[in-house]
Amino acid sequence: MPRPEHTSFPISTGFRRLLAGGLILFLLLLLFLPRQAQEWLGQMGEPMALILEGPLHGVAALQDSVSETWNHYIALQHVWEDNQRLKQKIQQLQGEQNLLREQAILAREFEKLSKYQATAPMTTLPARIIGRNVSNWYRAIVIDKGTRDGIQAEMGVITHAGVVGRVVRVNAITSIVLLLSDPNVAITGMIQTSRDEGIIQGTPQGTLQMKYLPPLSPVQVGDAVVTSGLTDDFPRGLHIGHIQQITKAATDLFQSGEITPIVDFSKLEGVLVITSFQPTISAESPPSEESEGMIPVLQHLP
Amino acid sequence: MIIALQIALCLGTVVAQATLSAMLAINGIYPDLCLVLACLFGFFTNEYKGFLFGLMVGLFQDLLAPGGVGINMILKGLAGGLAGMTAHTISTVTTLAVIIVTLALSLGCGLASLIMAYPELDGPEAFRAISGILGPQGLYNSLLAAGFFWFTHTLRDSWGMVHFTQERR
Repeated sequence: MPRPEHTSFPISTGFRRLLAGGLILFLLLLLFLPRQAQEWLGQMGEPMALILEGPLHGVAALQDSVSETWNHYIALQHVWEDNQRLKQKIQQLQGEQNLLREQAILAREFEKLSKYQATAPMTTLPARIIGRNVSNWYRAIVIDKGTRDGIQAEMGVITHAGVVGRVVRVNAITSIVLLLSDPNVAITGMIQTSRDEGIIQGTPQGTLQMKYLPPLSPVQVGDAVVTSGLTDDFPRGLHIGHIQQITKAATDLFQSGEITPIVDFSKLEGVLVITSFQPTISAESPPSEESEGMIPVLQHLP
Repeated sequence: MIIALQIALCLGTVVAQATLSAMLAINGIYPDLCLVLACLFGFFTNEYKGFLFGLMVGLFQDLLAPGGVGINMILKGLAGGLAGMTAHTISTVTTLAVIIVTLALSLGCGLASLIMAYPELDGPEAFRAISGILGPQGLYNSLLAAGFFWFTHTLRDSWGMVHFTQERR
């Protein structure tokens, strides 16, 4: 079967060569034409340029748009990363701020303890509370000082405000302190104004009770209760609390009173462990500067 | 390795009990995390392992508690062992079973602790302690144990971890 003759370019080869040669000659002539002729050619080309402008602008706009989107995307990527980094930084700073605030509060607490420790007429060791109420049946705290620091069982524990409790168990680096509100703790105390003595003991409900007050004691609600110094763990005159209620049934031999403790046991953060003190205070001894930190009862001693 | 993990778990629980109890307290009632853990360990394993685990966690608890060393160890050991025995006896341990058994064990252990801590407690005070502390605490412990048990079972069911919670007896 004969192949069909190619008809897409009906122009003969000679004519095409002539056309190409003419075009080259025209371009060469353009180079050597005077400037005016080039301008005329330029004016002739303006409509052509207008036709091209549209697509050019379109392509340029598209290019700009793509470029802008791409740049924004890349920038957004950076922004997202920056955002994440800044969020982490904020969290870190918030944590540090919280830590510093906590340390400031602790420092204030320990500053009070330290001031009291410097003026109190006894040797004390500051300790931090690291745990509390491990068992449900005892009101206790765990402090960060133990036998290595010279703590022994039965030592008294106080704050600048008043009596906290007594050390009942000592480990190498920790000690267990039974709070005054626990029924297993009992110390001797007295009414500050009337000088009547009694036993102060915790109750299962977590309150303090003063037992065995003399029946004729003129104790009144609001009277301050302090340690009497008869036991070996607390010196005389440390604040315990105030009488909240007095009870005496007709058949009872003694009065008893309910005490509002001066120390808020639930908010303790630092305490002082009494390592040694002078058990009896001589009335003849002159008042020293150290005794200023004590409850005024010491100054009123006979 | 497993024993080391169990010791770490015991230590962590006692430390959590000592430090987080104030946060977990509801109206002054603290959960006994050590008891809850001993019971759960008994439920998930067997009476022997529950007993040993209870002994261990109780020993650590005793070291940080004011009472004499031994009471928590014995009580937690018994609780873990009894929980394991219960799980061994009944065919399927359900959340309800966990609530009932943990409540009973909590009340039993609490009563024993109360007698040991306050041997001279009179009738009205004992009643107040039982109704005001023991009962609510038992409920708290049992609900905590049940919650953890339910959560673990849900995890096991959703993740298909057949051997995650209960060992083959």
